Amino acid sequence: MMTFDLTLTGSDLLLLAPEIFLTIWMCVVLIVDFSVKNIDHENLAYLSIGGILTTLVNVIWFDYIGVHGSLFKDMYVLDGVAIFFKIIILIATLLVLLISIDYVKKFKYFKGEYYFLVMMSALGMMFMASAQDLLSVFVTLEFSTFGFYVLVAYLREDARSSEAGLKFFILGVFAAGLLAYGISLVYGETGTLVFSEMTSTPGSYGLAIGFILIFAALGFKIGAVPFHSWIPDTYQGAPTPVTAFLSIAPKGAALAILIRMFFVALASFKPMWVLLFVVASIASMTYGNIVAIAQTNIKRLLAYSGIAQIGNVMIGMAAGTKRGSDAILFYLLTYLFANLGAFAVVIGVSNFIKSDEIEDYNGLNRRSPFLAAAMLLFLLSLAGVPPLAGFIGKLYIFVAAMEQELYTLLIVGLINIVISMYYYLIVVKKMYINEPTDPTSITVSAPLKTAVYIGIAGTLLLGIYPKPFIDWAVSATLMFSNLVAPTAAAPVLSPLVGG
Amino acid sequence: MTVSSGGFPWITLVVFLPLLGVAAILLAKEEMAKWIGLAASCVVLLASLPLWVMFNETTAAMQFVEKHQWIASPSIHYAVGIDGISLPLVLLTTFLTPLCVLVSWTSIDTRVREFMISLLVMETATVGVFVSLDFVLFYIFWETMLIPMYLLIGIWGGANRVYAAIKFFLYTLAGSVLLLVAIIVLYFSSGENTFDILTLSQSAYSPTLQSWLFWAFFAAFAVKVPMFPFHTWLPDAHVEAPTAGSVILASVLLKMGTYGFLRFSLPMLPDASLSFTPIIMTLSVIAIIYGAYMAFAQSDLKKLIAYSSVSHMGFVTLGIFAMNAQGIEGAILQMVNHGITTGGLFLCVGIIYERTHSREIDDNSGLAKPMPCYATFLVIFALSSVGLPGMNSFVGEFFVLVGTFMWSKLAATLAALGVILAAAYILWMLQRVVYGVPSQSMASKLSDLNPREWAMLVPLVFFVFWIGLYPKPLLDVMHASVDNLIQHEVKVMTVDNPEPILPATLALSDSLSQDRKAMLQ
Repeated sequence: MMTFDLTLTGSDLLLLAPEIFLTIWMCVVLIVDFSVKNIDHENLAYLSIGGILTTLVNVIWFDYIGVHGSLFKDMYVLDGVAIFFKIIILIATLLVLLISIDYVKKFKYFKGEYYFLVMMSALGMMFMASAQDLLSVFVTLEFSTFGFYVLVAYLREDARSSEAGLKFFILGVFAAGLLAYGISLVYGETGTLVFSEMTSTPGSYGLAIGFILIFAALGFKIGAVPFHSWIPDTYQGAPTPVTAFLSIAPKGAALAILIRMFFVALASFKPMWVLLFVVASIASMTYGNIVAIAQTNIKRLLAYSGIAQIGNVMIGMAAGTKRGSDAILFYLLTYLFANLGAFAVVIGVSNFIKSDEIEDYNGLNRRSPFLAAAMLLFLLSLAGVPPLAGFIGKLYIFVAAMEQELYTLLIVGLINIVISMYYYLIVVKKMYINEPTDPTSITVSAPLKTAVYIGIAGTLLLGIYPKPFIDWAVSATLMFSNLVAPTAAAPVLSPLVGG
Repeated sequence: MTVSSGGFPWITLVVFLPLLGVAAILLAKEEMAKWIGLAASCVVLLASLPLWVMFNETTAAMQFVEKHQWIASPSIHYAVGIDGISLPLVLLTTFLTPLCVLVSWTSIDTRVREFMISLLVMETATVGVFVSLDFVLFYIFWETMLIPMYLLIGIWGGANRVYAAIKFFLYTLAGSVLLLVAIIVLYFSSGENTFDILTLSQSAYSPTLQSWLFWAFFAAFAVKVPMFPFHTWLPDAHVEAPTAGSVILASVLLKMGTYGFLRFSLPMLPDASLSFTPIIMTLSVIAIIYGAYMAFAQSDLKKLIAYSSVSHMGFVTLGIFAMNAQGIEGAILQMVNHGITTGGLFLCVGIIYERTHSREIDDNSGLAKPMPCYATFLVIFALSSVGLPGMNSFVGEFFVLVGTFMWSKLAATLAALGVILAAAYILWMLQRVVYGVPSQSMASKLSDLNPREWAMLVPLVFFVFWIGLYPKPLLDVMHASVDNLIQHEVKVMTVDNPEPILPATLALSDSLSQDRKAMLQ
């Protein structure tokens, strides 16, 4: 039986410093919103950005001086992987706050609470990145999703937003049910909830079903096929900054849990779960890319492209090696800048022309050369064209897959690059080749411009000088270096997935 | 096996100077864009000359080498260098880019800034392809080049430009992704865990693996060349592209494919190259005859030249896979020649298109009278394309045919048929365009060449005759590198087929080589 006798010392609490700080700051933002009369929501935004920045600096400092450790009987852990994902989540939150400032003007009520909710979701996801046992997985996952339930339906007058909120809620709750059921099965079979204590459990059907249920629940969060059905409608209906947030942060946090669960708890069952990821990856890439071709709405296009990108990430999971985990981390970093950058451009355009239809991107190059060039870079990076960040990310993923001789997966992945190039090129064509129907030039506000510049800087820097970031990813995942022997699983697998 | 750059990073300078021009264009006013484009491309040309002047012709080693670690794991380097195979192509690229700027001087009047940027980025990417000594770096440049080319065709092209641009992009991309697989496979199977091209060329791979890799390479390179039956994107792209785009496409981009065969397929996969030679040779011969045959049927000047390119590039692949000194040197020579001649022909079409706004032969007939100087240039380039002795293509085609003859008499005979066909369709085209009956409606628009157009065509004519009459400097540059490549192949041949025929062939090859040297002295 498990007993919870929590003894906390001051130095233990230090591990939680970023989260504690963020919690306090969130409350400060809320209090300021309530107590200061007629406060401009823009000031609240900058207050929130200040808080996120401070937290980010705090986490980076922890990484720099090497603060590691675990709390609450290993329920909560602060290690390289946790810090890496926390930084991704915080950068994403920062960019989302920047791109929200203009958008929030659209809301009639509760402008201040918007920032509170964004920060609350970020806090939940930061906890997710540190979750090291199934109980904390459940609690943190629900905590972070809670904020999103509200955020997705924030455009109260817009039927699409309400529809998106409802769909997201119903499927989210369904996923939570799956998760709880899966956890109960795993606990029943193993008698423990902590990942690191499950490594030596013998396999059983109950355990397998339990983990498949947990995988399904997390699959909802990362939007992998076949758990993707909520994504397009929710993405389209939700306020665009929230869509941008949804498209990266929860995926990152859920991947942190997936990596820990499969690379630590289930390391010894690798031959079995590799197939799971191979299938999910192939399905996600192919489905996402093919359906994306037919999209006429840019948010839906990015939604489907996001499904395909997650398929790419799962190639790294299928590789199941240290290099695979490095590749996932680096890939997420490249995806973060390219995807949020693309959404920033979408917001910039839609703030001005009030439309998210791809048709309305005609001649964007004439109307705003800056936005068009930025969008070009982001889309090409998502497609994996060198010398941009996405190429290095894809290369790294493919190297990891090749090392494990996952030829089928590799070939499907490469064919998908060609397919994805097609629909990204259609957008490029509209922006550069077509003539605009309305030639007025588009003005972009300063915060949005900042976000786009950060996206461009990240996309170029990670592509041209990726070394320090790859080194960072490699050192963050040192904990996996002794877990999966590079060739151990290959002979077992080759009849299943080998070329 | 490398020779250091002697300190100064000449190659890096040549590769990245165009990007400096891009930055200048972005900062300057739109009206200044073409001047900056011209200045930047001329500076790059000047910067590339030291590569030639200081080039050491006696060694096959890579020269001007620069190598810096870029990513630690997987180990990727920024490694560049040139040898006798890449130097001519680098110079060809830097030489043609200013001409492309010039030909676009008045014909491109919308979005000049973006046009010049695309052109300069193209230059960086293409030079980068030829100098890369790291496979990932090579792939990066190889892929980067797609975007500006896509925009060149898509924005400034003809009526059906979007279709052509997307077709070009997806065709080449589909070929390239297989190349990426092959690159990653090589990384692991060389046993060295490296992307270094020189190291990968030294390693031995099992014949089965070589076959797979060969076809993966083939997919990327054959689309680019383009070899029959992967050529269908070329006529579309050529016809729709603006003149500068056609020149770059024909003169430089197509060479990336044949360069790939020379730099990667032959040295890294010698067994597979040897065993698949008959297939490649067959495809080359088909390309030569099919291209010529299709050229006959064209009424559009650009399409005619596009199909003649398919035919001429067939000679290049023929020469490469003959795998003897004559064949390969002829192939490299032919790569340069095709760049000069076809570049010249496309410039000529561009010049007339600016005046008549038509590329149809019927609309552009009888130009000898209103435009005598233009007609002279057109005749020179056309005859060079035919391979008239004394002009550049003759030397290249002759070497290729000699090389092919030593491999198979039948192939050489059929390829020679292609030369005759070329003479037929080119002369027929000349007859109509130069000496036909002038159409009255166009007559008023026809003014002869202006100084800018003279400046574009004269340098090309100079090279047509220089290489035609005195190709020795160019051959000397490539000689050591080609010999080294042949030695590498010979090792494989003699290990695999210990029959006495081959030494005999080689002896013949050597004696021919001596004769040829004597002839050239």
